Amino acid sequence: MRGTPPMQPSAAVRATAAMQALGTLRAVRAEWTKLRTVPGSWWLLVAVVALTVAAGGASAAAVTTEHCHPTPAACQEDTVKLSLTGVWVGQAAVAILGALAMSSEYGTGTIRAALTAVPWRGRLLTAKAVVVSALALTTGALGVLGSLLVGRLVLPGNGFTAEAGYPPLSLADGPTLRAAVGSMLYLGLIALLALGVAALVRDTAGAITVVLALLYVFPVLVSLVSSEKWRERLQEWGPASAGMAVQATRNLHSLPIGPWPGLGVLALYAAAALLAGGLTFRLRDA
Amino acid sequence: MEATIEVQGLRKQFGQTVAVDDLSFTVIPGQVTGFVGPNGAGKSTTMRVLLGLDSADAGRALIGGRAYSALRRPLTQVGALLDAAAVHPSRRGRDHLLWLAHTHGLPTRRVDELLETVGLGSAGRRRAGGYSLGMRQRLGIAAALLGDPPVLLFDEPVNGLDPEGIRWIRGFLRALAREGRAVLVSSHLMSELEDSADHLVVIGRGRLVADTPVAELLAAASGDRVALRTSDRTRAMAVLAREGATVAANGKESLSVTGLPAERITALLAAGGVPFSEVSAHRATLEEAYMELTRDAVEFQATDTQASEPRAAASQASESQASEFRAATGDGDMR
Repeated sequence: MRGTPPMQPSAAVRATAAMQALGTLRAVRAEWTKLRTVPGSWWLLVAVVALTVAAGGASAAAVTTEHCHPTPAACQEDTVKLSLTGVWVGQAAVAILGALAMSSEYGTGTIRAALTAVPWRGRLLTAKAVVVSALALTTGALGVLGSLLVGRLVLPGNGFTAEAGYPPLSLADGPTLRAAVGSMLYLGLIALLALGVAALVRDTAGAITVVLALLYVFPVLVSLVSSEKWRERLQEWGPASAGMAVQATRNLHSLPIGPWPGLGVLALYAAAALLAGGLTFRLRDA
Repeated sequence: MEATIEVQGLRKQFGQTVAVDDLSFTVIPGQVTGFVGPNGAGKSTTMRVLLGLDSADAGRALIGGRAYSALRRPLTQVGALLDAAAVHPSRRGRDHLLWLAHTHGLPTRRVDELLETVGLGSAGRRRAGGYSLGMRQRLGIAAALLGDPPVLLFDEPVNGLDPEGIRWIRGFLRALAREGRAVLVSSHLMSELEDSADHLVVIGRGRLVADTPVAELLAAASGDRVALRTSDRTRAMAVLAREGATVAANGKESLSVTGLPAERITALLAAGGVPFSEVSAHRATLEEAYMELTRDAVEFQATDTQASEPRAAASQASESQASEFRAATGDGDMR
């Protein structure tokens, strides 16, 4: 090393870092090209928005203040959470999108071409994570905004008026904004969870089954638990039930887990799935 | 970068099965190297290790002296066609090339250029699910050539193609080698490599059987046998044996002569006034040469119960595929 000018190594390191950043950017662009050139992806993106808004609107339309005694305010209805119910349905499409980004490569065999073009597996998985989470956030934003708009239009007709103690839904309201942003992030994390699971199991049907079971079957099983203490504990630790806590805007003290800690639990699930999937991806033969 | 492929002491095991066992060979630029062996011999595994898809249990597989994962912008250094069927059926052929191009920042122009080169042109706008096998092979070759790499690997590129497609690929491979690229082409059928390979790496059960120029292999397998038809066997044998040839009778009117070139034989017979109707130098096909090689490999493993079966198949094939080159014939054929 003697005689080497001291500036050279750091310049070389910077150049390498710049090249790696460029390589990752190119990998992200290629992943986006892959995704947008398969028609099924567009149907899934439309499905995320449509399912979220439709299911949210239907839920909002189905609930009225008629059964509230003595006054509508007595119901303590969380109208924000009610309007965002559709996220519960839209997450299925997000999960499929996230899983397919990886599993379809194994299903069609394109994984080998993908890895000869981008042999650094961490980079390839990162690029996929960037693309699916960005799409989940974007479609999630559209779905959440659409749901809140529908709720704002439908709810007053069902008795949830400002006079009755239910101000119109507005993002200017702190908890409402938190629920909206949180729901978007929720969908982003679901996409990453599904991607990680798909990298682990390498099969479309398998990956989708595992993720949907975690999201939908787990809560059903929890509801069958007779011990109230255990039921609550499992709700705290279920990916969907904990993550959905971020939508609550009323009676926060009675929730099994707070809004942000709940989303944090889901983030742990997503991180664990990505880590396990990433290690498998790196170590196993393609 | 030097356009070479080097495999040194490569070993790869899947569970209890040894797919590649202490395999070493080198592929040099400017020629087509055939990579031959029966199905399951370890050809695809070797290629997958070369491309960094599978990890080696021992040994090295290098391209231009480097491991695949150490290559900068790998598509500009190595192009590979592993499995032509590996395309997303609902993605258009052109888009398949496009995402590959985007991983390396290559322009869209390059994609369209290659679609034309491989003869897909407008078909690139169609979904790959509707492609014939031949079209998929062409798409796969275009993908391999995207980065204009000096090293190319093709795994069974003519498998399942029609004669027209086979001819096209053979010509294409030769042209790529003429441009100075190192081209490694695998096949489980030696006959597929006839007329296209310059050098052969033959493997069986994961081990190297032969690493030889095609011309040498053919010369060795052909020997210098000359087949002769004559109505006067005894005199012909006497005349030729006197000149040092080894003569064997293998039919009522036919002889097999070794040790003398065909021209000399005709001259001797004519001078001695021996009647003869046909003199032909035996020229082995690549398939025969291959069978001879693998026969030795099979004999080496004679304890194996399966050994007798391939041997029977080998002799059958060399009989049916033997081709003879007419070096010289009687005056009737001299024009």
